[in-house]
Amino acid sequence: MRVVSPTPSAIRPGEHLSNPQHALALDEPVAKPRISTATVTTRLWFCAYLPNLLLEASGPAAAARVVVEAQQGIHRVLLACPKAEAAGIMPGQSSSAALALLPTLRIEERSRLREQQAIEALATWLEQFTSVVCIAGPDVLLLEIAGSLRLYGGLRSLRQQIAAGLKQQGFEASLAIAPTPLAATWLARAGRRSCIRESSNLAAALRTLPLACLDWPAAISASIAGMGVTSVGDCLRLPREGFARRFGSQRLIELDRALGRLPDPRTAWRAPEKFCADHEMTEEQSDRKVLLAICHELLLSLERFLLTRQLGTQRLLFNFFHLRGPATQLSLGCAGFESRADHWLDLLRIHFERLTLPEPVIAVRLYGGRNQALQAESGRLAFHGKVSEPRLRYSMSQLAERLAARIGHQSVQGVMTVAEHRPHLAWCLRSLLGDKAATRQSAIRRGWRRPLWMLPEPTLLSAERGYPLHRGRLTLLEGPERLETGWWDGDGIARDYYTAVNPHGTRLWVYQNRNRAAAWYLHGFFG
Amino acid sequence: MRRDSSSLDKLLENPRLWRGHSQARGMTGLASGYDALDRHLPGGGWPQHALTEILVEHYGIGELRLLMPALAQLSTEGSSVDFVEPRWIAWVAPPLQPYPPALQQWGLDLSHMLIVHPKSGSDMLWSAEQALSSGTCAAVLLWPDVLDDQASRRLQLAAEKGRSWAIAFRPLAARSQPSAAALRIELQSGQTGMRLSILKSRGGSPAVLHNIL
Repeated sequence: MRVVSPTPSAIRPGEHLSNPQHALALDEPVAKPRISTATVTTRLWFCAYLPNLLLEASGPAAAARVVVEAQQGIHRVLLACPKAEAAGIMPGQSSSAALALLPTLRIEERSRLREQQAIEALATWLEQFTSVVCIAGPDVLLLEIAGSLRLYGGLRSLRQQIAAGLKQQGFEASLAIAPTPLAATWLARAGRRSCIRESSNLAAALRTLPLACLDWPAAISASIAGMGVTSVGDCLRLPREGFARRFGSQRLIELDRALGRLPDPRTAWRAPEKFCADHEMTEEQSDRKVLLAICHELLLSLERFLLTRQLGTQRLLFNFFHLRGPATQLSLGCAGFESRADHWLDLLRIHFERLTLPEPVIAVRLYGGRNQALQAESGRLAFHGKVSEPRLRYSMSQLAERLAARIGHQSVQGVMTVAEHRPHLAWCLRSLLGDKAATRQSAIRRGWRRPLWMLPEPTLLSAERGYPLHRGRLTLLEGPERLETGWWDGDGIARDYYTAVNPHGTRLWVYQNRNRAAAWYLHGFFG
Repeated sequence: MRRDSSSLDKLLENPRLWRGHSQARGMTGLASGYDALDRHLPGGGWPQHALTEILVEHYGIGELRLLMPALAQLSTEGSSVDFVEPRWIAWVAPPLQPYPPALQQWGLDLSHMLIVHPKSGSDMLWSAEQALSSGTCAAVLLWPDVLDDQASRRLQLAAEKGRSWAIAFRPLAARSQPSAAALRIELQSGQTGMRLSILKSRGGSPAVLHNIL
């Protein structure tokens, strides 16, 4: 059998684990090579092990329930909640046996996807405490907290905050703190509420751990147990070479890593940059208050997602799924980049009033749109006395959002002028939602007065012996102003514009085409 | 004779007696830019933080020109002071397109112009009320199809709340309908020019003016 040595330091022929010079024994430092002590001790790993994730992933429930998985065609109980356990239901039983013991039992199929989503949601939540959160297994979360201790008021306070948060979200966790990630994981799996800060204390703590909490493959565990080796301490007393040959060098590396003798680099988990969250219900729901409350929950998780990244988003999309038929969609838009849940909820309420749901809803999904970094706005100093005069209920962008939410984005607009001679091209609409920067106006044009009201299209005026008519014969007051331009884009005009007045005193802006027949057109009113 | 005048004074001192003109005291209007009109308006100008109704025969006879100097003043008011966001001018359901180059010529700041085209009458009133009460709009111009007594009261209250000036343009037929507006003006055109009648003026008195533009 060939022994593959992964690193020169891991196994050296002839070395004995029990040899004081080369042993893994924790109080005995390894001779070489060593990572500098400083890098080892400045790290502190916090492990949260979630033994009941299978159950907790599907949310809180009052009734007794079990999670089952099909094994060789039979659904067997994987995990039972305390109430079910009290009724005598145990893991390994078939689901029919469990039902016989407790007829009211709720049986749930195991969903790895749901577990994955649950642990990712927790990882996202934990990102508020540190920048390094790792999902180290299907039910293990690791946090590097050395840098966060001062901010969160010390180890005890940080631990309490995390524990309380997990409990509030309905997760039972076993927590442990150690200088290496593997040691923290093993201690948490063993259910020891240990908190080891110094790597010199690590050895003693690990030695008594049962091998079961190492989560090694069943075959290896069985063969080690067959040798009468039951704890980590026993393991460490074995010769390194023989240990590696028998159980694979990977196990030896794991032990070395747990003790801090080998570096154990971890990749921090990064939440996806796009937000997407679901809320599934066990039964269909058509009560709007309940649905709104669910949407609020989703918005709160969006807020957490965005706040940890200091981002804001401009568009949201809600999908309301029905058992039959396609999902009902509801999209929300906002003038600036916004992260606050309250703000979105306000907009949602306006939309929600008018939303028709063809059927009861079984699930709600929230997609976040494109994100952008939030920009802090400077506040005002209190001594600018005049500022307090108009009391703002909400800002202009909020007003525009509210209006757009009810009557549509196309119906709420600003205007701007364009440097252009042709009257119908001398201005354009501008969206008030979004680009705030585009407020550059062209210079004010002096000279000829322009009419305050503009017709969407010039209308042909009837004429009487060459005089244009509009509720009476028109008298020309000023003009002509010759506008002859635009030949370069095929939309050229050649017009003589006049200010005219009719017998009712209405001032009109009329023109005559120069190169065609002498027909008169009305283009605007001076208002 | 002397007895009579003293008894009149006595009567006037009675706190239960309400006189319309006393409302004008302490009111400062927004100068309209037309001296002849300012002289007839209580406070020397358009009533601020209130609803003004302008009844017009048809659009385009000068109803906008009448407002332009005051709107230009409102629009540029805040921009010279640091840290104060200039307030906006909102146009709700205008019958035609207000032409931006012309507004600019009159001195309005186009970067603070909001144009709203609601789809129904109720949306129109809702939008106007939102804009008035938000506190961000210095003036809100609206063209309602119908405006009953209750709606005009709501607009009046919203204008007070948001310290904004509401201007409702209505057809001449609305003359006989009751309204909560602080000022009602009728514009009619004729051979001799535009005739402006002040129908109702809180703290002022009715008057007819000719050719003020």
